[in-house]
Amino acid sequence: MKRNLFTNLKPIFAIAFLSLLTVSCTDLQIEETDSIIAEGSTVFEGVADVDASLTNLYNDIYGQIGDQANWFALNEVSTDETLVPTRGTDWGDNGIWRTLHSHTWSPTHKYVLDTWNNLNQDVFRASQIIDPLSNPTAEQEAQARFLRAFSMYFVLDMWGVAPYRNPTDGADIDPSVLSASEAYQLIIDDLNAAIPNLPSRGPSDDNNRACKAAGYFMLAKAMLNAERYTGSTPNYQGVVDAVNAIGTEGFGLQAGYFDLFKQDVNNETIWYANTGVGNRIWNGLHYNQNSPDNTGGGWNGFTTLAEFYDSFEGNPNSNNVGDGQEERRGWVPDAATANSQNLGIGYGFLIGQQYEEDGTILKDRPGNPLVFTKELPGLSGNGENTGIRIIKYHPGDDGGSFRGHEIVFRYADAHLMKAEAMMRMGGDATSMVNELRTLRGATPLGSVSESDMLAERGRELYIEFWRRNDLLRFGQFTRDWEFKNPESVGDTKWNLYPIPINALLSNPNLVQNPGY
Amino acid sequence: MKNKLLTKLLLLPVLLLLGGSAFAQITVSGNVSDANGPVPGVNIVVKGTSNGAQSDFDGNYTLNDVANDATLVFSYIGYKTQEVAVNGQKNVSVTLEEDVESLAEVVVIGYGTTTVKDATGAVTAVTSEDFNQGVITSPEQLIQGKTAGVQISQSSGEPGAGIDIRIRGANSVRSNNNPLFVVDGVPLSGGNTSAEGQNIGVGSNSSKNPLSFLNPNDIESISILKDASATAIYGSRGANGVVFITTKSGKGAKGSGWEVSSYLSVASVAKTFDLLGAKEYLAQSEAFGFNVAERNFKNSTDWQDFIFRTSASTNNDVSYSNNYGDGNLRATFGYGKTFGVVENTSLERITGRLNLNHRFFDDKLKLGLQSSISRVNDETAPTGASAGFRGDLLGSAYSANPTWPTGPDFDGTGGLLSPATALAYTQNVSHTNRLLVNFSAEYAFIPELSAKVNLGYDTSESTRIAVASPKARNFDQGVFGNGLGALNDLNTESRLIEATLNYKKDFSNSSLDVLAGYSFQDFQRDGRNVSAWGFFTNDLNEMGDAIENSANAVESKISGGYQQYGLAGNIADGIFVNRLFPEPTTDFITDFTNISVKSLFGDTFDNKDELQSFFGRINYSIADKYLFTATVRADGSSRFGEDNQYGYFPSGAFAWKINNENFVGDAVSTLKLRLGYGITGNQEGLGYGNFTQRQRYAGGDVIGDGGEINIPGIVDVSFPNPELKWEETVQYAAGLDFGFNNDRLNGSVDVYRKETKDLLFNVLAAQPSVQPFIFLNLPNSLVVNEGIEFSLGYDIIDTDDLNWNFNFNVAYNQNMVEELQGEFDAGTIRGQGLSLAFAQKLKAGEPLFSYFLRDFEGFDPVTGQPIQTDVQDFVGKSALPDFTGGFSTGFSYKNWTLNAYFNGQFGHYIYNNTANAFFTAGAFRGGRNVPLDVLTTGESFDAAADVSTRFLESGDFVRLQNATVSYAWPLDDEAFFSSLVLSVTGQNLFVITDYSGLDPEVSSSPAGADLLNGLPVFGIDYAAYPRPRTFTFGLNAKF
Repeated sequence: MKRNLFTNLKPIFAIAFLSLLTVSCTDLQIEETDSIIAEGSTVFEGVADVDASLTNLYNDIYGQIGDQANWFALNEVSTDETLVPTRGTDWGDNGIWRTLHSHTWSPTHKYVLDTWNNLNQDVFRASQIIDPLSNPTAEQEAQARFLRAFSMYFVLDMWGVAPYRNPTDGADIDPSVLSASEAYQLIIDDLNAAIPNLPSRGPSDDNNRACKAAGYFMLAKAMLNAERYTGSTPNYQGVVDAVNAIGTEGFGLQAGYFDLFKQDVNNETIWYANTGVGNRIWNGLHYNQNSPDNTGGGWNGFTTLAEFYDSFEGNPNSNNVGDGQEERRGWVPDAATANSQNLGIGYGFLIGQQYEEDGTILKDRPGNPLVFTKELPGLSGNGENTGIRIIKYHPGDDGGSFRGHEIVFRYADAHLMKAEAMMRMGGDATSMVNELRTLRGATPLGSVSESDMLAERGRELYIEFWRRNDLLRFGQFTRDWEFKNPESVGDTKWNLYPIPINALLSNPNLVQNPGY
Repeated sequence: MKNKLLTKLLLLPVLLLLGGSAFAQITVSGNVSDANGPVPGVNIVVKGTSNGAQSDFDGNYTLNDVANDATLVFSYIGYKTQEVAVNGQKNVSVTLEEDVESLAEVVVIGYGTTTVKDATGAVTAVTSEDFNQGVITSPEQLIQGKTAGVQISQSSGEPGAGIDIRIRGANSVRSNNNPLFVVDGVPLSGGNTSAEGQNIGVGSNSSKNPLSFLNPNDIESISILKDASATAIYGSRGANGVVFITTKSGKGAKGSGWEVSSYLSVASVAKTFDLLGAKEYLAQSEAFGFNVAERNFKNSTDWQDFIFRTSASTNNDVSYSNNYGDGNLRATFGYGKTFGVVENTSLERITGRLNLNHRFFDDKLKLGLQSSISRVNDETAPTGASAGFRGDLLGSAYSANPTWPTGPDFDGTGGLLSPATALAYTQNVSHTNRLLVNFSAEYAFIPELSAKVNLGYDTSESTRIAVASPKARNFDQGVFGNGLGALNDLNTESRLIEATLNYKKDFSNSSLDVLAGYSFQDFQRDGRNVSAWGFFTNDLNEMGDAIENSANAVESKISGGYQQYGLAGNIADGIFVNRLFPEPTTDFITDFTNISVKSLFGDTFDNKDELQSFFGRINYSIADKYLFTATVRADGSSRFGEDNQYGYFPSGAFAWKINNENFVGDAVSTLKLRLGYGITGNQEGLGYGNFTQRQRYAGGDVIGDGGEINIPGIVDVSFPNPELKWEETVQYAAGLDFGFNNDRLNGSVDVYRKETKDLLFNVLAAQPSVQPFIFLNLPNSLVVNEGIEFSLGYDIIDTDDLNWNFNFNVAYNQNMVEELQGEFDAGTIRGQGLSLAFAQKLKAGEPLFSYFLRDFEGFDPVTGQPIQTDVQDFVGKSALPDFTGGFSTGFSYKNWTLNAYFNGQFGHYIYNNTANAFFTAGAFRGGRNVPLDVLTTGESFDAAADVSTRFLESGDFVRLQNATVSYAWPLDDEAFFSSLVLSVTGQNLFVITDYSGLDPEVSSSPAGADLLNGLPVFGIDYAAYPRPRTFTFGLNAKF
C-alpha cells in the first residue's frame, strides 16, 4: 500500500517542483485581456476607436439630458418656472429639490457636484477625441468640438469658470482653470472650427447627431449671453447671422405646438437626444395617471407656480377645451374629451379635476377626487394634489411614454434669439414675436419690451432647460418668487453655483465662487 | 541521491555548530503507547541534541548514538510531554498521558504553528469543541463572540448572507475590513465567488458569503492573529488580521473509524412588527378622514405571515478517518439544506473533502493533501437593500394594505408593490461550484532543517439567474408586460505556489527557529453579465432558459474574441458585437435564430492579478523566558505600477514569560508580557488595473425601460496613476497573559494602537477627467483605532463528574479619522422621498460611520410638521460599537452538558431606515400600513420624513445567541458505537434591547453601485432580512 501511494504521488511531487521553477519570479505585469491598456502605463496614446468614443460621449450626454435630476434640475428647478415640492413623505429627497428652488443650496449639493463631474467629463472625453493622437476624421473632430462647446458652455454658465486638462496630462497634474472669458473664447473657437466640417442637413431623423445648424444654434446661444462672460457688449449681429444661417440650412417655425414633441421629423428640431422622455412625462403626473406601456403611473413630483401659469392667456382657473387659452397652455381632457388616444391625460398645463381615459373622474390615493390646485402651501407639507403639472411630451403619442426622442435645440428658440438680438441692437422685435404668437394662437402684442421678451421665451420654451439662462441674461434670476428664501432675494451670489467642495479639494487651482 | 548529497552538505555546518560532545553511545529502542494501545508518530528526541526519531505504526522506535546519561523527550500533540532518563537502559518504553488542554493551545501562525504559551503576538485559537452549535451556514459563525476584539456581524438573517468581520476596529474607509482567510495554508482571495445580483426591477442583491462553501463540520480549529507582529508575515494582506481555518485530518483517529452526524432544525422569525390588521386599518383610516371605500379591498391579509414561514432545515455529514501509522486520511461527505424564514430563500450545500497525510523515508518526507469540493445552491427572494421607493419584498410586506388580496395579479395597489407579486413573479437562483486543493511536501534534510513546498489551487464557477415575469406589476425598469432577467457568470481561479525553508535548533539555554520563504499567487476572474428584456413566456424557469439559451446562441454565432454583444428592436443592423482586439470594432450579425428575447445585452470580463512575495521569520528564545520574533515580508502586486509594485512589511515582538522566573511563585502558572510592533498593508477593494489607463466598451444598465439599447462606445475605465501604492497600517500592541492555580483562572489583557495611512480611496478626480472618481492614496490621511481587550476564564467546579466553567471577553475600541482632506457623504438611505438621502459622513475628527443628520425636536403641536432645522450635521454618534463582548458558560454533570453563550454590543447607534421609509403618517396617508403608534405621534399626514435623529436609535443589545444541551449516551467497550451524542441547540433565544426594529445586530447594504462615494454602509437597518430563532436537534455518532 505504501508503495502504491508513493508511486502515485511521486509524479505530482515532481510536477510540483517543476512548476515552482517555471512560474516563480513573475514580473507582475497585467495583460490585455478585457481592456486596452496604455503602454508605459502613464501616457495617453489617443482613444482606441474614435467612433466608439464619440458614440459613448453622445450616449452619456443624451443620458444627462434625459434625466430629471442634475443638469436639468439646476437649470429648471432653480427658476420661477418649476419646483419640486415635498409631498408628505414623498420627494423629500434630503431637501435636494427644496434648496434649489429656494436658493439655499450649498457647496455640498449633490446635483451641483454630479453635474460638475458629468459636464467636465464630457469636456475631457471630447478633448481626447479632438487630440491629434486620436487621429479623428474632420467630421469626428467637428462633432467632438461641438460637444465640447456644448458641455463647456454649461460649465461656464453655471460656475463662471471652466477647468481644463490636456488629454496627455497625468493624474498628478492639476487642471488649469479657464476664466470666464477664456472659456468663452474656447467655446467660440471650437464652434467656428466645427461648423465647416459638420454635415449640412435640414430637418431629418438623423439630427440626433449635430449638423451645421446645431453648430450655428450653439454659436448664437453663446454669443447672445456673452456679456456675462466677457463683460463687453455681445456681437448681436453675429447672433442674427447665425440664426439666419440656421434658416438657410432649412429650419423654420412650424405650426402645431404639441406635435413638435412627437418623434416625427419637423422643421423646428435642430438637435434631439436619443433619450427616453419618461422623466419629462412622469415626473409631474399623479400616480394614478398612467399609460399602457408604463406601470405604477406618474411620479407626482414636479409642478409649476401659479404666477408662471398666469403668464399665459386663458381662464386662470381652468384649462379645459374652450377656456380661451392660447395653444401653448395646452388643455385638460374632461368627461367628454377623455379617450383612449389621450388616455385622459392633457397637454401643457394640468389644473383642476383629472380624468380616466373612459371619462370617469380620477381619484388620489386617499380616495378623493384628483384635483390639481393652482396654489401650494409651501415647499414642504404638500398633499398629493397641490400644484399645476406640466407635460409637453405625451405618453399617448407614437413611441409611447419611453420613446427616445427629446428636443435639445429647437428653431423657435433661435427665432426668439434673433428677435432679442435685434431688440438689443435697438430694433423692434414686435413683428418677429408676433409671428410666433400668431402661430401659437396667442393674441399679438402691441409692442415688445425686455420683460415681454423674457415672458415670451418662458411661454414658448418652458421645461426646455433654458429658463435659468434666460433669467440671468435678463437680470431676473435674483428676483423674488414664490417659496424663494427671502434672504436669497437680490443676492447675486446665487447667479453662479458653488464649486463643489470636493472639486475644490481635488484641484488647488480652483477658487470658490464669491459668497459661498 | 541528490537529497543525500544535499543532506551531507547541509549537515556539515550544523555538525560544526554542534561541536563534538558525544561519548559512550548506545542504541535505545522501545515502544510508545497510551491507554488504548500503541501511538504512532510520536517524536522522540535526545534532549539537548538534534538526534531524534518517530514511533512507527506499532508505536516502536529506535534511536542510535544515545549517550548513557542522556534524557529522552517524548512529545506528541494532544499528549503531555514526558522526559525519561536513559541511565544506560537499551529499552525505554513509555505510556503517554493525554493532555486535553494542550490541544487547544496549538495555534496556527503563518507558515507554521506555535502554542499559546510560546506565542509572542496576540493570537487565539478556537477548536471544534468550543465552536458555536446549531445552524451554521459559514465558518466564521463558529467563532462569533469567542474572542475579544473580534467583531463578527452577519449582515442579516438570510441563509448565506454576507459577513462583516472586524478585528480590532475598522482601518479602511473602503468596505474592506475583513481579515485574510487562510484555509489549510491557502490564502483565499478577498473577492466574492458569486456575482452580485443585477437589478430586475426590485433592486439588486448583494453577493453572498464567499466562505459558505466550507462545511463547518470539517473544521478542526480556527486561529486568529490579531496584532501586526503576528500578521506581518502576510504583509500586504495582514492589516485586518488573519484567520486560519484548519480542517480535520485523520491524525487524531486511532485506527479507522466512522463518524456520522445529523441535524434537524426548525426556524421561525424571532420578531415581527405590530402592524395594523385589516379591521384596525380601516377603522384608523376612517378616524383620520380617509375615504375608506377607496382603501378597502375587502380582504384580511397578514402580509408578514404571508412572506414568513417556519422552516425546517437539515444537515448531514459522514466521515471516515484512518490513522495507519505512516499517515492518515479523512474523507467526508456533507449535505445540508437551510431554508430561510422568508419564502423563496434557501441555501443548499453539498461538500466532499479528502485530507491525506503520509510520511516517507523514515518520516523525512511528509506529504499532505487537503482537498474539498463543494456546490452551493442559493435561492434568494427580492430582499436587496437597493429597492426603490416601493421597497423590496420585506418592505412591501411591512407596508402593504392589509385588505389587499393575496393574488399576485392584483391591480389595485396604486402603484405600490404587492408582496404576493414580488414572491410569485420573481426567481433568483445561483449555483456555485468550488474546488480548493492544497498539496504540501515537506522534507527534513536533517532534523533541524526542512524544506516545504505548498501548492494551492482554488477555483470556483458561479452562475446566477434572476428573472422578473412580464406579469409582475409595479416593478421598475419596464418589467410589466415585458419581463426582465439577468444572468451573471463568475469564474475565479487562484493558484498558489509556496516554498519555505525552516531551520530549528535547540541550544543549551536557547532555541532558534528561522523561516525563509517565497510565495506566488495569482487571481483570475472572468465571466459574463447578461441582461434580457422582453420575454415570450411568463414561466420563470422558461425565462431563465430563454436568457441562457439566447446568450449562448448569440455567442455561438460570434467568431473571434469580443467584449460585448446585444440586440434590441431599435438596432436595425442586427446583433451588434463590440470587439476590443486586435482593433476596437463594432460589427453586426444578422442571424437571429434561436433567440427568444426581444432585447439582450451581454458584457464579458476577464482579468488576472498576481502577487509575489518573499518573507522570513526568526524566533529566538532564551531560557524559555525571553522570546523574540522578527518577521519581514516583501510583497509585489500587479495592482500597482512599476514604481510601487513592492511593499515591505516588517514586524518585531518580544515576550517575557515572567512565570518562569524564580521570583514568581508556583501559584502563578502563567504570566507573560507581550510587546509587538508591525507594519501591514491592505489592497483589497482596489480592483484590477487602476494604476494605468485602460479602455473598454461602456457597460452597465444598457437596456432602457422600453427595451432600447444605445450601442455602447469606448470609455476610459481607469486613469494613469503610477503613484498608486499599498494602504499601510502600523500597529503597536502590548498584552499580558495570566493564569493562576494551574491556569484554572486565566485570562489576558491587551492594548493596541493601529494607525492606517495612505488610505486607498476612490476620490473625486480633478475635473475635467474621464471619470468622476479615481483610486488614490489619500495624502495626509490617518485612521486610528485604539483599544483594550480583556478576557477571563475560570473553572468554577472541576471534578470528575461535575464541571462548571465560564469564559468572558470584552473589548473596547475607539475609532477616529484623525486626518483626512475633504468630506464625503456616506450611509445611503433608501425609500420613498429619500432619494439621495444619506445618514453618515466621513470627515476628519469624526469616527468612521458617524451619523450626519437633522436634529429632530418633535412635531409642531399645531401643524404636525417636524420641528427641525433643514440642515444636516454631525450628532456625535457612530454606528461602530464602543464595547463588544461575549460570555459563555459550560456546565457538565456526568453525561450531560449544558453550554450557553451570550453576546452583546454597546455604544453604537442604528439608523432605522425601515421606520423612516415606511412607518410615518405620510406613509399611512399614501395607503400604506403602519404600526398603530405611528398614528399617535401628532405627525401631520402631509409631513415630510427627512433623514433626522428621529430615526436614530441606540443599538445596545445582549443576546442569548446559543444554548446547547447535550447528552453522551453511556456506552460500554463492546458497543457498536464508540461515541453517541444527542443534542438540542437553541439559537437567538432572546435579545435584550431598546431598539424598535426587528433586530439590533443589522447592517443592510445596497449593491455597490448605490453606495455614496463608494463608501460602505454600516449600522443602517432597511428592511433587513430578519434573524431567525432556531432550534436544532442533533445526533453525532462515532463507530
